[in-house]
Amino acid sequence: MSHINLLYLLDPLHFPIFSIMLYFLGAFCIVLFGKNRIVRNCIAFVATGLSLTLLCLLIKPIMIQNAILPYWMGYRVPAGGYAIGIALEVDALSLFFGLLIATAVFVSCLYSFSYMSEDDNEPQYYTLFLMLAGGVMGLVLSGDLFNMFIMVEILTFAAVALTAFRNRVTGALEAAFKYLVVGCIGSTCILAGTIILYQQAHTLNLAQLATIIPLCKGTNISIAFALLFIGFCTKAFIVPFHPLAADAHGAAPAPVSVLISGVLTKSGIYGIIRLAYFLFQTMNLGTMQFWLVFLGSVSMFVCVTMALAQHDFKRLLAFHSISQIGYVLTAIGLATALGASAGLYHAMNHTLFKGLLFLTAGAVLHETGTTDLGKLGGLSKKMPHTTVLFLIGAASISGIPPFNGFASKWLIYQATYEKAAETGNIGFAFVTIVALVTSTLTLASFVKVTQSVFFGQLPKECENAKEVSFGMRFAMGILAVLCTITGLFPNMVQQYLTGPAAKTLFHVSRYINAMMGSGYAESTMGASAPEAATRTIETVGVWNPVNWLMLLMIALLAICIVAIASKYDAVRENKSEKVEAKYSLFYGGEDTVFSQVGGGDLFWGFKHNWRHYFSFMHDLHSGIVNDYSLWAVIALALAMVYALIVL
Amino acid sequence: MIILNYIASFFLIVLGLYCIVMKYNLVKTVIGLSIMDYGVNLLIITIGYNPGGTAPIFTPGELQAASYFVDPIPQALTLTSIVIGACVTAMSLSLVMKLKEMYGTLDTREIRRLRG
Repeated sequence: MSHINLLYLLDPLHFPIFSIMLYFLGAFCIVLFGKNRIVRNCIAFVATGLSLTLLCLLIKPIMIQNAILPYWMGYRVPAGGYAIGIALEVDALSLFFGLLIATAVFVSCLYSFSYMSEDDNEPQYYTLFLMLAGGVMGLVLSGDLFNMFIMVEILTFAAVALTAFRNRVTGALEAAFKYLVVGCIGSTCILAGTIILYQQAHTLNLAQLATIIPLCKGTNISIAFALLFIGFCTKAFIVPFHPLAADAHGAAPAPVSVLISGVLTKSGIYGIIRLAYFLFQTMNLGTMQFWLVFLGSVSMFVCVTMALAQHDFKRLLAFHSISQIGYVLTAIGLATALGASAGLYHAMNHTLFKGLLFLTAGAVLHETGTTDLGKLGGLSKKMPHTTVLFLIGAASISGIPPFNGFASKWLIYQATYEKAAETGNIGFAFVTIVALVTSTLTLASFVKVTQSVFFGQLPKECENAKEVSFGMRFAMGILAVLCTITGLFPNMVQQYLTGPAAKTLFHVSRYINAMMGSGYAESTMGASAPEAATRTIETVGVWNPVNWLMLLMIALLAICIVAIASKYDAVRENKSEKVEAKYSLFYGGEDTVFSQVGGGDLFWGFKHNWRHYFSFMHDLHSGIVNDYSLWAVIALALAMVYALIVL
Repeated sequence: MIILNYIASFFLIVLGLYCIVMKYNLVKTVIGLSIMDYGVNLLIITIGYNPGGTAPIFTPGELQAASYFVDPIPQALTLTSIVIGACVTAMSLSLVMKLKEMYGTLDTREIRRLRG
């Protein structure tokens, strides 16, 4: 009998598969042995912690030495130029997203230990939690399109079940059902797109598909692109899928919100990047860039305005989350080295600050039993540490230096602006303005939240609130420290994390060759092999004074536009009674019962001016699952038409 | 006659989507999801079909270059997809059950506490 060398398993080659398996193994073990609380927590801690450690060990070979790790399950390596086995492939992009996911999962697992301790069915919670984590991890590390579909299904299921986990909370079941229906439309789209690609290329391996698909043109390819694109959009909750995120976040326990916002949306973004940059290599088309930038800009603006009209803490955060995903998509869609790097940087920051904000919202819910902004107030006296942590998160998301949101948003402004200068297209400069206005509105919204939750008068119901347990504060503290570190050292982040990951987007042939054997891309694709693009990443221009002058100019332009827009609105004062009452200037009359916002809302003037828009958006988000499905179908139809025209 | 399969599969997918969008009964929504799934399954099987091919089951040594069989990969994919479809149905029906308990109705127009 041959002796198995255990040391062989310590080869970094095996780390990716271990980091996926640990989650699933942990989920399985918790079902078997999870009756005891200590055993259960140990299993969850070991699975998430070890997985994070293994991925951190991969930073050196992949991020710094620029290696790509292909891994063929059961050593079924390609034969005769055909990928016959199932593969994992870890390049810098996969590892970047993998690290984000592992960090968010680890922190929210630590938080869960105290946060979920009073719930019943705790073993089931950790099983689903680890399955969600494993699904996302499998998705980003996989090198096989069908495996990506399987992982999408696993993570959708786990996310739906976790949304409905506290099923006595108002709306939990409802949110879960809506998410299931629209999520399943998305997953089915991914499956249909996958199989159409298989019909064209007779392979499911990502690297081999990337050599075949760009050479084929035709209706099938365009339709497959549209199907896969919409499928991943539902996972990233890009407009028009944003209401699902808002519903799910409001009902799910806080650590699950961290996963849905920080991890699940990233899986969608990762899918879109793999699709557009690698499989179809369509990002050099101006029309495709326009599409992504347009969707991203619409997402960031629509969601931030939706957030302004919310009166529930977690629902508000959910809309902000999608708004920030809009930034990521916009930057990715620019298809420049700076844009890609900025987008990935913002994706990372989004995971960190959004995780922190959701955990603070969870802490507030844990102590006061409500997330209604109208019923909260004055908690800074009772929960000083949570307040400070929340302020760090709020400063990060609003882009206030020295926190991380500032650096990445700055890069995004710079990238869109440079793109405008490069292409001479004024539309990209307009995107810069939209991004700036969105950032301002985000700040406004967080000023409101800070004021109505942590400052102001302490209502009687909240008088028993006290500081949350050390475990919860520790988890939030980790994220706060990471927010600050990544904001203080943007150059380090660029050099070791986002830079290498962004570079892979423009070196597709390296990805193909690492998987299929060197020279494969060139020999199969001939002249059209994706060239090793020589795009370099500029240094971060954050501290360059000239840039600040340009920012001033853009800000002035933005102010002009906002001023003109609101003036235009103010001229057309009108009589619609219902709308008037809802966004009325004065609270305190009998109409407050009907009002969406508390009397302490700081921005009633702004809201009053925009009341028609808000009212229109409120009615549009009807909460009926048929409407949301219809939006999905419309989005799919439009995507197909657009793909047929431009591809 | 393979074209009929394609037509049927696209018809099923569209029918499923129509059902999800137009029907206000939760159970019918779930049925729509299933029909859409079946449509995609039929599409997968159809793509793997070679007219006149045998079943892709061979013992070692039996497989030759001249062997003509249907593509086995889509069949494996369909099995996975069917299992997932069954899970979707089970999970959504259990949610429907709980929703009925809590809201007392199956009408989607009345299950909209989360909106705006």
